[in-house]
Amino acid sequence: MKSVQFKVVSRLDGDAAVIYPKGYLNNLSGESLVLECGMYIGKGITKIVVNFGETDLINSIGISLLLQIIEDLKNIKGTICFTNMSKFLRDTFEMLGLMQHMTVFPLESDALQYLKAGTV
Amino acid sequence: MPFNTIPAEDFLNRVNELDYLRGLSVLKGNALGGNVFLEGARGIGKTELLKQLYRLLFWEDHVVPFYYSFKTANLKGTYFAKDYFTKFVRQYISFARKEPSLADSAAEPLQRLMPAISSLGLYWLIDCIEDFQEHVNKNDVYWQIVAAISAPVVAAQKSGKPVIVMLDDFDAAEHLYEASLGDAHGLISLFGESLKNNLCPHVMTGSAGALEAIFTDHSLIGMTEQMRLGPLPEDLATALFKAHLANLKITSAPDEPLQFLGILRGNPLYIRNLAKAAWKMQKRELHENDLIECYGFEVSEGETAFYWSSVFSRYVPSPAARKAMLKLLMYSVENGGIEDGDRLSMVSGLSGAETGAILETMASAGFIRDRDPVFQDFIHCLYMKEVEGRKADDAREKIESKYSSKREESCFELVIPMSSNAELVVAKAVEQIGRNMNLDSEFLNHLQLALIEVCINAMEHSGSYEKKVFLKFITRPDNLRIIIENSGRPFSLDSRTDVPVEEKLRLGVKRGWGFKLVNAIMDGVKIERVNDRTRVILTKEIKNKEALT
Repeated sequence: MKSVQFKVVSRLDGDAAVIYPKGYLNNLSGESLVLECGMYIGKGITKIVVNFGETDLINSIGISLLLQIIEDLKNIKGTICFTNMSKFLRDTFEMLGLMQHMTVFPLESDALQYLKAGTV
Repeated sequence: MPFNTIPAEDFLNRVNELDYLRGLSVLKGNALGGNVFLEGARGIGKTELLKQLYRLLFWEDHVVPFYYSFKTANLKGTYFAKDYFTKFVRQYISFARKEPSLADSAAEPLQRLMPAISSLGLYWLIDCIEDFQEHVNKNDVYWQIVAAISAPVVAAQKSGKPVIVMLDDFDAAEHLYEASLGDAHGLISLFGESLKNNLCPHVMTGSAGALEAIFTDHSLIGMTEQMRLGPLPEDLATALFKAHLANLKITSAPDEPLQFLGILRGNPLYIRNLAKAAWKMQKRELHENDLIECYGFEVSEGETAFYWSSVFSRYVPSPAARKAMLKLLMYSVENGGIEDGDRLSMVSGLSGAETGAILETMASAGFIRDRDPVFQDFIHCLYMKEVEGRKADDAREKIESKYSSKREESCFELVIPMSSNAELVVAKAVEQIGRNMNLDSEFLNHLQLALIEVCINAMEHSGSYEKKVFLKFITRPDNLRIIIENSGRPFSLDSRTDVPVEEKLRLGVKRGWGFKLVNAIMDGVKIERVNDRTRVILTKEIKNKEALT
């Protein structure tokens, strides 16, 4: 576990937003992630990639906030992809039976390609 | 038997106490001190201190020592009076003639001592004996007791030489009776005059908390100071143990620190008994494992077990009460106390009033207060034998396996506030603990997650005013146990229903993943309610793939 202060960094790649949550994803940080996604949704962006490459720990509240984002995107018929997940994160989502309800790619580039072409 | 004592060189770490008591007669003569009530755990050396003081004063000449033990005394008034009086006279003459054997020779009748008394010119003592005999002839129990108790005062006044009166297990005097048990309450108060006399300082021992109970006259409490005897420091405890071993021709392995001795908490009685157990078990060279083996024997059927069993019998003579007390003590050992008042009658199997009386006895006997691990192990063994009907060998094995596995055990404790991100401190702690255990990082991440979930559950839902979470990590090479406790609202897994993920997502239920994760990660998740606290016990077996090779 690294001692990284949580922060959310994001960028636009074409018509998709790529979001980088860094550090420990809990209630406080999860809310800033929800806000960041909400900001893009407010701007009409319906394709979002969440890159977990620098997320080292997550708790159940962080998970519930991710589900919130998935639901928000679903409501506007948007798409959300998750990439660069560590084995720990993948296992955690597996344990909860959530993996089959998420669109997951190994790399951010795979997700962007999918969103552009509609396929991998 | 005041001279039945260990050599002065083996009597460690009591120099200050001995010096203070030695000067007590001067302090009392100058109205600067009075009487001393010696307090301390059983076996800590109160009796031994009295005997060492006795021996010291005996060979000096300015204070006459008198030692009387109530431990083995017959408490029927006439027997007690005769015994007390005779012992005093014998010890007085023994002191005057500097003949220790006289003090210990119980068989010698007083009449035979008359020539010795005359030769010493102690004619007042002859008067004293005759007065006492007159009370006996008149069958006057009350005056026999008064005459016996006053004998040291009379001696001090007639001779001008102070008499220091040492009363061992003095609280037992509360049960003095005339003809049948309980027929004469308050005979102990007859010691009042003797205690007030400025030529007779008294040093008393007894169970903790007994002082207020035995003195109805509060002025006596005011002139009695308490002196607490603490345990021997670790290094001296080891030195004493090794000295006993040397006397028994047993060596200890030079490269082993005998860490297990720590469980005896510097108690000289336990230390001596353990050394004797090694001798009985024919050990020649002692290793750490041998210590555990000898200890298992000691608390299940050795001298320590016998000692505690006798103390037990003294406080609870009836078999039914003994069994009930045993159940309550076992409950206390397992739960770290007996605060949960409502359940105690269920535990003891007796009525509330009977249970209350037993609890009172337990408190006055000091059985719970000290949290002595040796006593707790003894209780465990006795419980197995007398309540579960198991053999002494089973109890011994249980104790041995408990400590054999504990040797490889490490324990860490941590308290965190219920504040934002405090659970990360726990995550950091478990990370380092895991590294110490050589666990791989991915496995550790899951452990961290499980702990974080339990902590945030406590923080979010307990409503605790204490606002603290207490954690204890117990690690063994093949197992990790984490105990998380917090006060506040009870929490139970029973109230949780496992809703399928699809259903949860369909209903928009986003919370409630925490204990699902904890259950998936850990091998064991147990939730208990102990008094006002919720205790979550997480266990994880460490398999090869989870440890780095």
